[in-house]
Amino acid sequence: MGDVGLNAYLMVGAVLFVCGVVCMATKRNGIGVLMGVELVLNGANVNFVAFSRYTSLGLDGQTIALFVIVLAAAEAAVALAIALNFYNNHLTIDVDRGNELQG
Amino acid sequence: MIEQLLFYTFAILTCGGAVAVVATQNVVRMAFWLVVSLGSVAALFFLLHADFLGAAQLLIYVGGTVVLLVFGVMLTASGPYTTIKTAPAEGIIGAAVGLMLLMVLVSSIGSVDWGAISGRLPSSPQSPFTADSIREAHADEAIVNSGSTKVKTDLAAIQQQGRTVRQLGLSFLGLRPDRNLKEGGANGLAPGYFLPFEIVSVHLLVVLIGAAYLARAKRRAVSEDRVSLD
Amino acid sequence: MANGSLTHTFSDGIMPETGDILMFLLTVAWLLPLAGFVVEVYWLCFSHRLNKGAAYVAVACIGIGFLCSLTALLYWGNATKWAALSEPEHHAHSASHDAGHAEAGHGEAGHEHEAHAVDADEHSHSPPPAPAKKYFSGTYYELARFSGLRVSLDWYIDSLTLVMFTMVTFIATCIHIFAIGYMHDELTEEYEDHEVHLHNGGHFSRPGRFHRFFAYLSLFSFSMLGIVLSGNIFQVFIFWELVGLSSYLLIGFYIERKSASTAANKAFIMNRVGDFGFLIGMMILWTSFGTFQFGDRTEGDHTQAGLFTMVRGQDGKLDVSEDGKEVYLQDAYGHRAERNGKPLSISYMLLVAAGLGVFAGSIGKSAQFPLQTWLPDAMEGPTPVSALVHSATMVAAGVYLAARFYPVFTPEVLLGIAYIGCITLFIAATIALVVTDIKRVLAYSTISQLGYMMLAIGVAGWGAALFHLVTHAFFKSLMFLCSGSVIAGCHHVQDMSRMGGLRHKMKITAYTMLVGVIAIAGLAIPGTSIGLSGFYSKDAIVASALAYSELNPGHILLFIAPLVTAGITSFYMFRLWFLTFAGTPRDAHVYEHCHENPSVMTTPLLVLAVLAAGCAWGGEGGPLYRLIADSELVPATARVASTGAAKVILPSHQGHESDVHHVHSTAGMLALISAIIGMTLAYLLYVKKTIDPNQIRQQFSGVYDFLVDKWRFDSLYDAMFVAPVHIVSAWCVSFDKGVLDPILHSAASLTVLTSKWDRAFDETFVDGLVNLVGTVTYNVGNSLKVIQTGRLRQYVMWIAVGVIVLFGALFTTIPK
Repeated sequence: MGDVGLNAYLMVGAVLFVCGVVCMATKRNGIGVLMGVELVLNGANVNFVAFSRYTSLGLDGQTIALFVIVLAAAEAAVALAIALNFYNNHLTIDVDRGNELQG
Repeated sequence: MIEQLLFYTFAILTCGGAVAVVATQNVVRMAFWLVVSLGSVAALFFLLHADFLGAAQLLIYVGGTVVLLVFGVMLTASGPYTTIKTAPAEGIIGAAVGLMLLMVLVSSIGSVDWGAISGRLPSSPQSPFTADSIREAHADEAIVNSGSTKVKTDLAAIQQQGRTVRQLGLSFLGLRPDRNLKEGGANGLAPGYFLPFEIVSVHLLVVLIGAAYLARAKRRAVSEDRVSLD
Repeated sequence: MANGSLTHTFSDGIMPETGDILMFLLTVAWLLPLAGFVVEVYWLCFSHRLNKGAAYVAVACIGIGFLCSLTALLYWGNATKWAALSEPEHHAHSASHDAGHAEAGHGEAGHEHEAHAVDADEHSHSPPPAPAKKYFSGTYYELARFSGLRVSLDWYIDSLTLVMFTMVTFIATCIHIFAIGYMHDELTEEYEDHEVHLHNGGHFSRPGRFHRFFAYLSLFSFSMLGIVLSGNIFQVFIFWELVGLSSYLLIGFYIERKSASTAANKAFIMNRVGDFGFLIGMMILWTSFGTFQFGDRTEGDHTQAGLFTMVRGQDGKLDVSEDGKEVYLQDAYGHRAERNGKPLSISYMLLVAAGLGVFAGSIGKSAQFPLQTWLPDAMEGPTPVSALVHSATMVAAGVYLAARFYPVFTPEVLLGIAYIGCITLFIAATIALVVTDIKRVLAYSTISQLGYMMLAIGVAGWGAALFHLVTHAFFKSLMFLCSGSVIAGCHHVQDMSRMGGLRHKMKITAYTMLVGVIAIAGLAIPGTSIGLSGFYSKDAIVASALAYSELNPGHILLFIAPLVTAGITSFYMFRLWFLTFAGTPRDAHVYEHCHENPSVMTTPLLVLAVLAAGCAWGGEGGPLYRLIADSELVPATARVASTGAAKVILPSHQGHESDVHHVHSTAGMLALISAIIGMTLAYLLYVKKTIDPNQIRQQFSGVYDFLVDKWRFDSLYDAMFVAPVHIVSAWCVSFDKGVLDPILHSAASLTVLTSKWDRAFDETFVDGLVNLVGTVTYNVGNSLKVIQTGRLRQYVMWIAVGVIVLFGALFTTIPK
């Protein structure tokens, strides 16, 4: 039975992570930014599970991954609520409009 | 072979989906590609013998979060706002930075000897019933693994396959049958996740209440006529 | 009220409760004026200024006090079965203060002789009376306890206390009543003070102070009775200062008059000089004896000896060590006191110092030489005050204190007291010869008589001194009240040269005054020993002095001076009476407007006149003298030869065989002759005008001026104390202005300069530094503000770039 090895999974996680970051950095749409966040979290999850499989981290890795999924879901819910409020206030979902924090 | 084939297939799907999410400008399509990417990740989880996690990934992400996002899109992106274009210059800059970040990550992955680091972690026999044999196998494994990314844990893998649900459940109840507590030495605490589990539960509750509060229907201040115009 | 231990050694059948009852009665008499004082001070809270009620409150308080005191005296007499009088037929009578009794006794010469015989008989048969402690004492309240020393409020009652209480409250009652009439013109909303001239030529006008006058009088009565009742020297000191305060307030009653306020200050300050000595004496007593108590104090089964017992022991003798340098102290059981196995003793010189210190207090209070100058000035107060405070009671408190402390005085101290008294009585009498102010004559006469009392104490005539104190209180308060009556009747004219012939208009005043004059002059019917009170008491003093000078021929002056002064006294007192009441009016205006006073003023005169005449009835065999002498703690039954620095022998004065008794008739005869000469001279000068006083004045103008200037004491004190103080002050001022001020000014300008420089430094460097930091921070913040775009995506991008840079740096710097 062949085995692809740890590094291959880590590469996939890295690609997911980078894509998430770029997504967050470039999307003007608030929902798009959220999707980037999901990608970043999934990249991290892939890493955790890969370590769980290939190193002695064992079950802990999967447990943490499970927590991450749960927290991601929670984050998504809150973020969506924030996005809705943002939309209510600005009549758009363009995050570039939300520059109230500008110094 | 079949595993490698499956891995490469899903790895390509995952990465491709992710890149497509970045590249697409339309939000709905982004959501579609996100589904593809996350579903492939679930498949990768299965390949990594994390059957419960893969199922949870499918259920929560593909079935829940993405649907939630799509609802968000529907609620916000009415008409002209569905696509908000990114400036080409920003796209180029983002791509460049992303590539550099990827290079950094890849080079760091390649430069780390994961086997040696794994040996430094506390031993984690996969099954309490075969603790001794596993530890021996693990010791051999460490020797075998040094200098190679090829990891071979036949016995552990076989025994673990498709049996994580029960162990995860026990660990959330604070029980770790897969751990040898005697080896814990000084820090021989039960390494369960009972307390984090409870905290996360309460956290979820709070978040749901908060989300409901934030997203409740409010009078739209500025804009009745504008929306009607739209 | 905490009732302390009761210490007394009455042997035969005196109930212990006697002390309690006496204490209760006297405490009521003592505290009533205080209550009255409180009421009168806040009089305007319940009544108005024109109400006489304040006076009635004061009279009621002091009057009830007198009744209490009299009751206490009678009770004491009954409890002791009048043992002090030693005469069975006197059992039914009180002491001499009952006016009727005194009058009755006055006329019965034969009876008196009989009394003498019985008296002598008893004395010759009975053994000399044991020096028993015939007193009651106890503690009201203990204020504090400093290791060995208790500071407490005590009471000490013996026959002297009782006599003093009765005398003070009686005279105070009379004077209070008199003052109702005398102070009548204060009962107004607009009192115009004719002595105070304002700049616009008018007179000062103020609301009347009737109630305030009586408040002060009550405060004084309370304080004076407090002195008499005090059971320890510290408490005496407290009330000593309180009477000083009352005196100050009363002298300065017309505070707007400059003379009055100056006189009040003078009296207060001169008393402080004496009190300084008193304090030193107290400190010595505290250090050496560890107690302030007069009497012994029983606590449990242990009896702690008081001051007097410690010094004199049970037999009344000083226990001097062989080399004469130490005096051993006695305990209450007749042994030498011991502490830690060593006999307690006090240096002889220290005991002398303590005695002199306490006597210094007496000098101040009793206006003795050299602190006598305040008393004549104190006549600025209203006349009832002069009568009560500055003749009868307060100034006598000095004599009382010296008498109380007699057991502590060594013969050296007594010699000093004698000479001080001797000098004082002569100086004051000579000044009185030339003074024309009616009140000042009486003031100098007071000083002179106080000198007599001090002299008597000094020559061991303890009983004679206190005898004279009581008689003097009566006739001097009488004369002051008479002078007050004259002053009130003549509308505040005090100068005798403007009076004359007033006896036609003021009969009661004139003849009561005559009684007082005869009493103080010591006149008697030649060949008998029938006279007014002053005769007996002065007789006793002169006899003591004669006995003393016979035993100590070096101190013959102590006899000559009082003898001569007796004549001078007689002269100036009759001069006063002749000038005021006899002859023809010298100022028609004064004479025409003069009138006799209402009965509220004349009644006290009559009562006092009766007592001034008769209180000393019986002389040294009479009840008053016996009552007083009963409480003498150091009875001299035999001669006491001093072993100290002053080689003197104190004469014995008790019993038929004593030294004083031997010379008594001689001394009395000499004194009487002297007084008659004085009276005759006055008669010749001022009534018959056979000799013109003005011629004498011109012939002896030097002496006259010297006397008018009061022996130049004020000038002397000016030169001795005031002028040096002025010189030193001037020098201090010039030193201040010439040396200190420039130093201070230069220091100040230096400080200003430094401050200016400091300010410049602060503003340029310190502030500049701080401002620089602020400006830089502000500018950096402003420029960094640009980066804070608030754009979410940019931040994410920067994070990514940051990670890349960080990792890049890590990879390039850290070798594999």
